[in-house]
Amino acid sequence: MADILQILILGLALGGVIALMGSGLSLVFGVMRIVNLAHPSLIIGGAYVTYWAFKMTGVDPIVMLPVASLIMAAIGVLLYRLMFERETKSAKYSEMTVLLTFALAMMVEGLLGGLFTNTQRVVSPDYATDAFFVGDIFIPKGQLYAGIVSLTIITALSLFLKYSRLGYAIRATTQNREAAELLGVNVNFICILAFAIGIGLAGAAGSLVSFVFSFFPAKHWEWVAMLMSVVVLGGMGSILGTVVAALMLSVIAAFVGTWIGATWSTLTFFLALFLILLVRPQGLFGEKPEMA
Amino acid sequence: MMAVTLQQSSASAVVEARRAHNEKLARKVDQTRATWFPLTIMAALVALLLLQFTGNYNYLLHMVLFTASYVAMASGWNILGGFAGYISLGHSVFFVIGGYFSGMILARYGISTIITAPLAGLLAAVVGYLIGMVTLKVRGPSFIISSIALLMIARILFDNWELIGGANGVTLPVNDLPVQWAKVPYYYAMLAIAAFTIWASYKIKHSKFGLGLRAISKDEIKAESAGIDTRFYKVMAFALSAFFVGMAGAVWGEYLTYLRSNIFLVILVSANLVLMSILGGKGTVAGPVIGAILIVALNELFVATMGASEINILGTGMVMAVGLMFFPLGLVGTLARKGKLPRVLNWD
Repeated sequence: MADILQILILGLALGGVIALMGSGLSLVFGVMRIVNLAHPSLIIGGAYVTYWAFKMTGVDPIVMLPVASLIMAAIGVLLYRLMFERETKSAKYSEMTVLLTFALAMMVEGLLGGLFTNTQRVVSPDYATDAFFVGDIFIPKGQLYAGIVSLTIITALSLFLKYSRLGYAIRATTQNREAAELLGVNVNFICILAFAIGIGLAGAAGSLVSFVFSFFPAKHWEWVAMLMSVVVLGGMGSILGTVVAALMLSVIAAFVGTWIGATWSTLTFFLALFLILLVRPQGLFGEKPEMA
Repeated sequence: MMAVTLQQSSASAVVEARRAHNEKLARKVDQTRATWFPLTIMAALVALLLLQFTGNYNYLLHMVLFTASYVAMASGWNILGGFAGYISLGHSVFFVIGGYFSGMILARYGISTIITAPLAGLLAAVVGYLIGMVTLKVRGPSFIISSIALLMIARILFDNWELIGGANGVTLPVNDLPVQWAKVPYYYAMLAIAAFTIWASYKIKHSKFGLGLRAISKDEIKAESAGIDTRFYKVMAFALSAFFVGMAGAVWGEYLTYLRSNIFLVILVSANLVLMSILGGKGTVAGPVIGAILIVALNELFVATMGASEINILGTGMVMAVGLMFFPLGLVGTLARKGKLPRVLNWD
């Protein structure tokens, strides 16, 4: 019993981080119909920002989080204006953007690899290797903090989307682009804003990832399918769905990892992705079957 | 009664006249087609081996062989990605299936992969057919994502399957030819596979099947309502494209003399196939060939001048992004749209 509880807690803590990693992806797809394959590579970009800040000045990764997310958001604006704005008129827009973001992912990977080499890195603040003990059960502090921070950020994001004027505009654009434009929403500005928030979330996730996982530039290929499975299961564009799916899948993966073997735990995500696309392409909380 | 027969006969007369007219047009196109150009290049490549009598040109042979393998794979990818419009980022799965199937036969029974290559292709096609039955239910971005998932699943399976060496891979026996001539069998085998793929790609494009695929890529729902069995067409296209990739993989494995999943089963191989087809012009016969030549040359240039493989990845990504943004039709497609495609490159 204690075993099961232990695995459950570890799975949930990781799931919180994965939820933050996926939420930016989901937002960007919801508003702009861009399947951003470069998202994980940008997360690694955020992780490197945090890593160097920690290495050079000793700033705590969680303190560094807002800075990393602002830097990545600025990069996001630049990327959107350079690469995606001009594609909005293209006939095969979403297919085109998948390939473009794929190219972008390779560029980011190559750039990071060229600058920082492919060594495994991890940020190690004191709490990353420490744990709380509750009876027989241990809770790693690093993962717990990361999970809490990430769920806080997601809650703040949901509140922003739900209650602020800009949030209304973003949700309106998600639901119906033309109608939103007719009602006076500056759709292009909303797209830039949403893309910036999405990539900013990638930066924030990068800060947390930097001390939860070890990372290197080519690692994003492992994450891309993992995050896709989370986002597709949750229903692309639904933040709530992403959180639920992330917690669910990472708990399942934790059980698979302990009971069957660590190599097979990542397989959970890929198989899940495969099955969801076939059985229910719109995901748990998705409404639009147009992805199929 | 009279009126009906009259109508029928005049209708068939119209059909006859149209068929005659179409045949006349087709003959005209055939006459203006520069078939001598690919044939000359092929002859030159076959004769290239004579250089070995005058010195050591192994590097040149290697480059041609390498390019030929990518020509075969990119042309194969083009059947699904270009003609039918289903972009797959997981085609290196078929490369690894071909490589391991023939490679394991070579390691166990000593039968050369050149002989078993068609079988490897068939196996890849069967696997492709089965996977296609499942994944081709979705289209657009979902299909692309599912193909990436496929690649990841295959990677985990191949890394952990002890029978085929797991992550350590398998070492294959080296042939006992002198260094000067060691590449020869693979050189000719790969050239033959590449030539066969180009020929097949031309034949497919000009068949009823190819027409159906192109209809699917334009508008699948309309294609279906026009009576095309879209499901069967798509799955067949997937199987065919897997066939050529699998054959190339079989010969490539023996040429390398070892099999390891982190050589075959990487996303960069898949990305290269996509890149070559798109840069050359997807949906055209000549496009993937030209794309393959360009990308291999470019890669070689990057490696020779800058060395690091990271720069290579960066360069590949940049070429892909610029190509997609400014020439989405590719080299052949863009030239053809402007009516400036030289006759020697018009293989369609």
